[in-house]
Amino acid sequence: MAMQETPAQVARRLDSNRRWFDLVPPEGVPIRFEVAGLAARFGAQLLDILITTVVVIAVLILLALLPFNLEPLIASLAAILMLVIRAPYYILTELFWNGRTVGKRAAGLRVLGADGRGLTTHAVVARNLLKEVEIFMPGSLLLASGGLGTFWNVVLLVWIIIVLAVPLTNRKRQRLGDLIANTYVTSRPRSVLLPDLSGGSKAAAFDFTAAQMEHYGRFELQTLERLLRADTASASSEERRRESLVQVAAQIRRKIGYEEAVPPARAEEFLRAFYTAQRAFLEQKRVFGEVRDDKHHRTEDADQTS
Amino acid sequence: MSETQPIRSTRFRREREADWVALEGLVARVESSGGNRLSFDESRSLAALYRKAATSLSVARDISLDRGLLDYLEALVARAFLAVYAPQESLSGVIGRFFGGSASAAVRRSWASILMAFLALALGGWVAAMLFAQDPAWFYAFVPGELAGDRGPGASTEALRDVLFNTDGNLVAQLGAFAAFLFSHNTRVALFSFALGVFACVPSLLLTIYNGLILGAFWGLYADRGLGLELFGWLSIHGVTEMSALALAAAGGFRLGLALLFPGGLTRKDSLRAASKDAVKLALVASLMLLVAGLLEGFARQMVTDTGMRIMIGWGIGALWLAWFMLAGRRAH
Repeated sequence: MAMQETPAQVARRLDSNRRWFDLVPPEGVPIRFEVAGLAARFGAQLLDILITTVVVIAVLILLALLPFNLEPLIASLAAILMLVIRAPYYILTELFWNGRTVGKRAAGLRVLGADGRGLTTHAVVARNLLKEVEIFMPGSLLLASGGLGTFWNVVLLVWIIIVLAVPLTNRKRQRLGDLIANTYVTSRPRSVLLPDLSGGSKAAAFDFTAAQMEHYGRFELQTLERLLRADTASASSEERRRESLVQVAAQIRRKIGYEEAVPPARAEEFLRAFYTAQRAFLEQKRVFGEVRDDKHHRTEDADQTS
Repeated sequence: MSETQPIRSTRFRREREADWVALEGLVARVESSGGNRLSFDESRSLAALYRKAATSLSVARDISLDRGLLDYLEALVARAFLAVYAPQESLSGVIGRFFGGSASAAVRRSWASILMAFLALALGGWVAAMLFAQDPAWFYAFVPGELAGDRGPGASTEALRDVLFNTDGNLVAQLGAFAAFLFSHNTRVALFSFALGVFACVPSLLLTIYNGLILGAFWGLYADRGLGLELFGWLSIHGVTEMSALALAAAGGFRLGLALLFPGGLTRKDSLRAASKDAVKLALVASLMLLVAGLLEGFARQMVTDTGMRIMIGWGIGALWLAWFMLAGRRAH
């Protein structure tokens, strides 16, 4: 028997599709981090490659000014300089800027130790040495692939496919170096302290009975919260928000059987009062162990087993 | 519903909000200019406020249904965690530890893998020398064309001797290019034999044997012309360091491969991670040695043409490496 998905279940399913991971620091409170997007990581990598390449070219130009004939050496010199400048660049920036290269800073990314105890030198060195093997060696071979035989071209292709497949197939988007070093790449957390929506009203303009509180659960409450917090930058969106507030207020009144009429001008005030009362009611229930996840009174546990 | 008494989660928030805001200020400073700029008291209160905020988050997850508050606390604690658990390393500390013991200890722990790599090299060399003695055509089977240059079984003894000793201006450039190629060739072999160790050691083993084959083929050719000692000197000056670097890189690969093959009581992933601690250090030591080998090859070999001197420098530096590996960091244990 296929059960109809409730909106709360849909929301939770979408939420679990978002990629995140929990770190457990020594304090024992799991901290949630969002897995960095592939586009951001690619962008950061590109910027870092650009920076190191510019430095290498600058050093090469300086060397060319020296009074030696370096003509026949230029290719291998460039390769050696790339290695000597690139690997330390990644390792030192990630070590001293707490998991951020210049590119990662720009893209808002960070490297994290997966054990919740901060990055170690070993982790930084390991993930960046593997980057040489994983990305740069096949990359430079690819540029020179004309000179390779068919066999090596096939090997190169297989290698590149493996390297690309690893981060695409694991949930936490770890590349090989991340797996060995036990690190994650996360996007920078942003903390914005929004005002508390409850307790804003001065007078007890609206009263609710306990029976009227029985209709909704956590999901509906937090949907209402999002509506009340909705950003109204322009006048037209402010107009639309007003309309939807009035509609939602009417809907809630109908559902909970609230007798008293609410004039459209006071719809927001009504919704805030209702939000406060509903939140107090649900939080009280929660303290006593009754978790109402949505209006169907499904508990979180029941949802996970269904 | 009483309007005068705020609800529980609101009171919870009001009591702690000032601490959160203070924490956010400290975290923002650490994020923009690093943890070193904080005074002692600030650092201490950063740690204390972080723990308080973590506790707040834990409680809020249980008692609050305010999405805005929960999101804020999740992000704040995450930022504070990053500020508190930042790596506290200095460049001199990292380098000092590496040279002062951690690298040599990793080398000592990997003695079996290193022995395996040297044996593979020796095996390759022995096989190639034997085969060359039977039929010089084997030379072409082992030595890639670019590496051989005009040094082949067809070249005259004089020409072969010239390659070893000539420091003529024109040849310097040629040899320089050859040295650079060899450097990058061997660097690539080292990188591959390290990285491919993950595939159960087999590619690393094959690459190391193959490198031994090249060496053996050259040896066979030169020994055949009575230039064995001279080649030994020519190779010694950088080869002691270079071949040891190859062996160490391969040993790093072996450590990874062995960890996958025989994980013992760990899962394969954990076993690989544990082995990577030593393997990464072996790779770093190997790349350092390759760099030194490149310098020796590019300069010392051109300047020192006396075979006895070449052998002394080469093996002397080899002894220095050995002393580092055997002695550094011993007292710490």
